[in-house]
Amino acid sequence: MARAAYHHSFEHEHLLSIEGLSPLDISLILDLADNYAEATRAGRRPDPVLSGKTVVNLFFENSTRTMSSFEIAARRLGADVVSMPVAASSVKKGETLVDTAMTLNAMKPDVLVVRHSASGGPKLLSRKVDCAVVNAGDGTHEHPTQGLLDTLTIRRNKGRVEGLKVVICGDIAHSRVARSTTLALHLLGAEVHLCAPRTLLPSGTETWGAASATTDFDKALNGADVVMMLRLQLERMDGAYLPSRREYFRYFGLTGERLALAKPDAIVMHPGPMNRGIEIESAIADGDRSVITEQVEMGVAVREAVLHLLAGGAT
Amino acid sequence: MSLSIFNARLLDPATGLDTTGAIFADKGRIREISQGRTTAHAEAKVAIDAGGLCLAPGLVDLRVKTGEPGDEQKETLATASRSAVAGGITSFVVMPDTKPVIDDVALVRFIAERAKVSAATRIYPAGALTTGLRGEAMAEIGLMADAGAVVFTNGDQPVGNASLLKRAMTYAASRGATIMSRPDERALAGSGVMNSGALAARMGLSGIPVEAEWIGAMRDTALAEATGCTLILDQVSTPRTLDIAAAARDRGAKVFTTAAAHSLFFNEHDVGDYLTYCKVNPPFRTEETRQGLIAALKRGEIDAVVSAHDPQPPEEKRLPYGEAAFGAAGLETVLPALLSLVHDGPLSLLEALAPVTCRPADMLGLPQGRLAEKALADLILFDPDKPWLCERENLRSRSTNSPFDGRRLQGRVLRTFVGGEEVFAHESLA
Repeated sequence: MARAAYHHSFEHEHLLSIEGLSPLDISLILDLADNYAEATRAGRRPDPVLSGKTVVNLFFENSTRTMSSFEIAARRLGADVVSMPVAASSVKKGETLVDTAMTLNAMKPDVLVVRHSASGGPKLLSRKVDCAVVNAGDGTHEHPTQGLLDTLTIRRNKGRVEGLKVVICGDIAHSRVARSTTLALHLLGAEVHLCAPRTLLPSGTETWGAASATTDFDKALNGADVVMMLRLQLERMDGAYLPSRREYFRYFGLTGERLALAKPDAIVMHPGPMNRGIEIESAIADGDRSVITEQVEMGVAVREAVLHLLAGGAT
Repeated sequence: MSLSIFNARLLDPATGLDTTGAIFADKGRIREISQGRTTAHAEAKVAIDAGGLCLAPGLVDLRVKTGEPGDEQKETLATASRSAVAGGITSFVVMPDTKPVIDDVALVRFIAERAKVSAATRIYPAGALTTGLRGEAMAEIGLMADAGAVVFTNGDQPVGNASLLKRAMTYAASRGATIMSRPDERALAGSGVMNSGALAARMGLSGIPVEAEWIGAMRDTALAEATGCTLILDQVSTPRTLDIAAAARDRGAKVFTTAAAHSLFFNEHDVGDYLTYCKVNPPFRTEETRQGLIAALKRGEIDAVVSAHDPQPPEEKRLPYGEAAFGAAGLETVLPALLSLVHDGPLSLLEALAPVTCRPADMLGLPQGRLAEKALADLILFDPDKPWLCERENLRSRSTNSPFDGRRLQGRVLRTFVGGEEVFAHESLA
């Protein structure tokens, strides 16, 4: 199917969550991102659609990776970029959020890219400002551009999303990536299976569009096209949510032996940063089935597409 | 001043009276109840034709927080009382979690005195169960009771140390004092901010599980049974908690229960897009749980319905959901919330009024909450059908953090009397 065979315009003012997007919205973003990815690979400079626009990165949680990705994406499209890592500990967090938002709003930016430790933080901010807001991760709620870049990486490697069996394994309970990626993949017709120790597997994952939620990683891997591992915060191990690191690795670590249970051409993904030897074996992370660095590459492309659609006029 | 209200639908939940008639009040008390009477008493200085609208005892609310002393920018006793009378509440109990905490005789007297000089309603102080509400040492329960504290509670921070709670109950029982405790096992409730379950998981918010309330209720009722102390389980949010209370009562424990009016009106989905006005503790539960509470109220298993009024200024609520303060302003919406269960639910008017009039009054041994000769002339005249739009900016509380903001409600208080004196008249009467 030719991907430009339909006409669909992006009618959203902000990008706060995958929830609320339609399959067509997602396809539109992915198609545009695909073009940007190809342009970059070919060494072509894209049209400066954000020329004269100001993008502000407002990060209340440290994340060099995501902030750099947004910054590069915005610069490639010709925007002026201001990145503000806000030390969350110095002031009372919530006041900083609304007060900083009002202050920045008065400076008339075109896009605010926000990361905040509280679920719903960017949503609150979007009610207080006049410009477009992009959620770059809020608490344990959503991380929509990550969900989109994961979906794009899968689509590029598999040629499709519909009908694929995707297994996501790790700290599902505390993962905004799991929520956004599951929602996005489900909207495009993939079958998503979530896998975690019971203490890190919340109830109601069917409302995210998950086909199943299980504690049996081996069984889940059977016939999988995609295996995505999530980072496990070290403080959640050592007795609080599960007994120990080695016990976690025994049941949920991705090894070569375990990967053999998936389809022979299954790809391996990880949103990073990785705990090598805890959730994933180094040999797998660096192996030829890993698309982890391509995820980072697609991150920039997806963010170019999102910024373009929100602030760059018609595509 | 003498008062005659005639041609009214008299409603007295204490006796089940529901008939047309008139009342005559003089010197602060009801002197005569005349069933069938549709004309004024000739000797009355003030005569009001009710036009067939409802006349009931003023509401008695067992759980109100203000900011006096210490946080007057949130609410004072005076501003809370003005909001209360607009909602038909003529008597309320103020919680001890102020700055300073109401944990000694002088502070109990301060509240009583401030109320007398500044408030439009009757106000009864609750004393702190432990000094500073720290849960470490029993406060002066006997002396505070003698000074006018009607109940003892640790407020929003239930006593964690079961041994101390048992001794406090033992002591309180010997002084004839009543303890009000919020059933809440803190270790389980943890840092939760909304009802635990699929919705909280989807929204990425930490949950407050129902088991935290059940375990708290099992502990508190077991200690009430062991000590003989009269216990009020504060703001029950699930039917199973009521079952725990009933089982303890069957074994001879003196246990009462309350529920917040907003818990009967909202469910967890009202939190919607992280609406912090809907952040309360206990949290709004599932619709099934809410329906279970309503059915229990119909069966008379909830002894009292409270406003759980907890004023919070914008700076405490204009925050991301997880960081915002708990609490809802509720004084003006207790009666409409209950009337919604008459209009759209299973309750009769008398069943809706009993848990906010005679039953809470009886729990604390207060004489009001009834229409009877010689009873206090604390009265409300209300139109059970009058539709209105609840808008934050029109609420009379100093803080207007109401989850009812923007809701269409049915039923409005038109006049409120305390001791026979009119303390509120709705603007439609002006």
